[in-house]
Amino acid sequence: MSEKKLHPIIQEAQEQLRNGRISRRDFIRISTLLGMSAVSAAALAACAPKETATPAPATSAPAATETPVPPTATSAPAATPTPAGMPVRGGTLKASTRVERVDHPARFSLVSQSHAWRHVFEYLTYIDAKGIVHPYLLESWEASDDLLTWKLNLRKGIKFNNGKELTADDVVFNFNQWLDVNVGSSLLGQMSYLDASGVEKVDDYTVVLHLKSPSITVPYDMYHYGALIVPKEFEGDITRQPIGTGAFTMAEYVPGERCRLVRREGYWRNGVDGKPLPYLDEIIMVQLGEDPTAGLSALKTGEVDTVIEPPVTVWQGIKDDPNFVIISTPTSATRVLRVRVDQEPWTDNRVRLALKHCHNREKILALALMGEGTIGNDSHVAPAHPEYCPVEPFPYDPEKAKALLAEAGYPDGLDVTLTVVSDWPESMAYAQALKEDAAPAGFRITLNTMPASQFWDGWTEWNMSITWWAHRPLAIMTLPLAYISRDGQPVPWNESRWVDAEFEQLLQEALRTLDLEKRREIMCKLETIQKERGSICTPFFMNVWTIHSKKVHDVPPSPEEYVVYYETWKEA
Amino acid sequence: MARYIIRRLFTMVITMLVVSIVIFAVVEIAPGNVARNILGAYATPEQEKSMENQLGLDRPVATRYISWLFGSDWQAERKIGRPLKEIVIQQGIVERFRQWWAVDEDGSLVRWGIQDGQLYKYIRQPDGSTVGVPDEGAWRTDESGIQYFWGVDNANRAALWIKGQGGVEYRYEYSGWRKSENAPVDYIPLTKGLLRGDAGVSLRYRAPVSELIASRLKNSGILAALAFLVSIPLGLLLGLLAGLNEGKPADRILSLFGLVTTASPDFATGIFLIMIFSLWLKVLPGATVFASQTAILDNPKMLVLPVLTASLVEMGYILRITRASVVEVVQSNYVRTAVLKGLSRTQVVLRHVLRNSLLAPITVIMLHVNWLIGGLVVVESVFGYPGLGNFILNAALYKDVYAIEAASMFLILLAVGTQLIADIIYSFLNPRVRYA
Repeated sequence: MSEKKLHPIIQEAQEQLRNGRISRRDFIRISTLLGMSAVSAAALAACAPKETATPAPATSAPAATETPVPPTATSAPAATPTPAGMPVRGGTLKASTRVERVDHPARFSLVSQSHAWRHVFEYLTYIDAKGIVHPYLLESWEASDDLLTWKLNLRKGIKFNNGKELTADDVVFNFNQWLDVNVGSSLLGQMSYLDASGVEKVDDYTVVLHLKSPSITVPYDMYHYGALIVPKEFEGDITRQPIGTGAFTMAEYVPGERCRLVRREGYWRNGVDGKPLPYLDEIIMVQLGEDPTAGLSALKTGEVDTVIEPPVTVWQGIKDDPNFVIISTPTSATRVLRVRVDQEPWTDNRVRLALKHCHNREKILALALMGEGTIGNDSHVAPAHPEYCPVEPFPYDPEKAKALLAEAGYPDGLDVTLTVVSDWPESMAYAQALKEDAAPAGFRITLNTMPASQFWDGWTEWNMSITWWAHRPLAIMTLPLAYISRDGQPVPWNESRWVDAEFEQLLQEALRTLDLEKRREIMCKLETIQKERGSICTPFFMNVWTIHSKKVHDVPPSPEEYVVYYETWKEA
Repeated sequence: MARYIIRRLFTMVITMLVVSIVIFAVVEIAPGNVARNILGAYATPEQEKSMENQLGLDRPVATRYISWLFGSDWQAERKIGRPLKEIVIQQGIVERFRQWWAVDEDGSLVRWGIQDGQLYKYIRQPDGSTVGVPDEGAWRTDESGIQYFWGVDNANRAALWIKGQGGVEYRYEYSGWRKSENAPVDYIPLTKGLLRGDAGVSLRYRAPVSELIASRLKNSGILAALAFLVSIPLGLLLGLLAGLNEGKPADRILSLFGLVTTASPDFATGIFLIMIFSLWLKVLPGATVFASQTAILDNPKMLVLPVLTASLVEMGYILRITRASVVEVVQSNYVRTAVLKGLSRTQVVLRHVLRNSLLAPITVIMLHVNWLIGGLVVVESVFGYPGLGNFILNAALYKDVYAIEAASMFLILLAVGTQLIADIIYSFLNPRVRYA
């Protein structure tokens, strides 16, 4: 790759790396985002400390012309430490999770709906545990300088489990599904920069995206949990057409009870032993009910090998047990307390500010997560996000809150009903701590508890509630989902109906800003706006855990809590 | 005796009918709109109205009740003028579903639809595909000259098409909302009715409710049966022993045991047992992981702790009731007479004490059949057991109306049925009941 072919932003990022303004990890993240392979980005980053004026040596391999050899487990997607010894083939992995009734992957609304299906279907890209994005079903991508045109090069020779080859037609079909308002996918909000008319097939292995507005999140968005690639013959229900490119096939799927995935032949990636993945013969996922106790005792007694998305109670029960591996990863996942700004009493920002002053954040973090998390500042930007700007949250100040309430016309306090899901212990702990701490300020909070199922039925409708928000690798991926409007209406996931012109304008700017430092400056403003007049409280961001038996190896930790057992193996 | 049983059976039928009306009314009247529950918060009023029409929710309550209980296919057959047939289709290994078709004169299975403004008849081929042929001749004309046609559409409904006047249908089936013009203007969802074994399709799992309940019932049935096998003989025996030894150390110990097991809540008992047998001694699994359909046969050990938890509570009850009953009977005049006339102790116990003191425990046991099948929610939650109790709980939480209706009807049938059996056993044990 000659220097002039490097994306200008990569050169700029390299400059920043040299000047110590961004970390090596940030540099790799930016470079790979723009289509450079992780290996060459690392090579480029290694050059940085040197005093050379010409940064790009001719030795770095161009990502755009990577050879289409199926990568082995150690090259592209694997970023996990491999333990000593060769993986053992065969065996059954048992996991405890939810087995939900699903139809269209693009309509998934919870990460838990995707765990089983991620083994049958795959994504175009892959984000590793460090937040670095890699091509996956794609061989590479290239972004234009103005970030308006993205060329996606598809890997050749990948076959669906019905024998048909994956081609650009399938990819175009998937983009059209995601962007079809009738499908009702959350990807529609996430890919607000793209219309179906902007997806162009160039040849059988090349698709070009013509964006309406510049965006840097394209490769990240293709790893959204609903962006599983289905063949173009797909009619809308994966349980009827479980035809994907993944390493397993779905042998049994009983919603509410269990599913069974069986190894398929002819998968496109090879293991470290040179033979096609996966190592496991079979994966069984069982639903042990709403009560986490069953999962914990099943794990402890070896009835299951792992608990997917373990709740804090399971972590607590396992953390001192030497028979298990626990990996703790900070994320941007959180429980957002949001209020409807189109409903009383939250139309008045002083009431919202008063509520924010009622948060004793350290206490909430200790009670809700036993300290396993980071403190938030009432914006939906987490310290785990690379572009996070350290904005101090409001201190706990019930006197100030009382004064604000009096100013807003509630000198005697007010009654509010907080809707909380009883299945989520951290939400319950948060709600109870807040109820106590907000009482001196005059908030009389009534807790309206309900099971998750009932909550999700109308999650955008509650007046005041604590919503479960999944992790997203970049803050600029979450904010457009829930805090903007489209065609004058709040976007479907805008549960608080909060719309702010300045915020939206700054966000659009952030979405065009690849430079991390400049983006961080915008983030400072965005976070401050959300903190000072936004509709949410985010006292903490959560850590997640990967917990499994010591017999199981190579389970890649993921802040997204995406479970991928392609390279996982189990001691016989 | 026969007359007594027939009279009881008749009462049972009447009870079930009244109960079915109550259940139907409660579910129908209860707040929460069925269509909106399915569609979610973002449905427009037109979409909601279309969905209500498609689900038949806009028909009179009495008609819906009759359809729910006795089916709607015979009502639809009259309108369509052809017999209807339900077939079960297995697609892949993942899903089974049912389809309704009309049977044409030549015996082939047919459905209808509008294509380019024309009525088409779709004939099912042996391989499952359909061949469409224009069927414009099928239109009928009513008094006011409107051309209409009643047929079966492709979503298990009898549908009314009117020529030149398409209804607007919003369908939330495959790739989300599909709006179609030229759609039918009225629908009758086809069902065989609860009495004929068709409890409708679960809104949550999109599978026939009867199949879901059957699979859960099997699991709960096994758990309940084992719990009964353990707790009834043991409870009766220990209760008898305690009662016969009233006031002696054996009675004291057994009474205390009965008190402790009934007083400790089943979730606590369950967790204690897990801690002892699974975590400490490591001899038994601490959760019931149904890794396959035949998990119980593959790994029967996993049933030990749930069965033990359920039986401990149950056994305590039976023990205490039996003991109290035995103590009372032992002090009665006829037992004293029996002893005085020189019968051996065994004979007294077996012929006089046992028979008379069983009445109370049998009432308790029969009342508990129902509880053991549908009410083991707590035990099922602690061990992650996929039983009926868990299913009903979730159906209620998710407002899965057809599942709630069917499951509650089933549990009430079970309650009434076991009560009938209890009454029959009573009448054998105590002839006075027969004439009461």
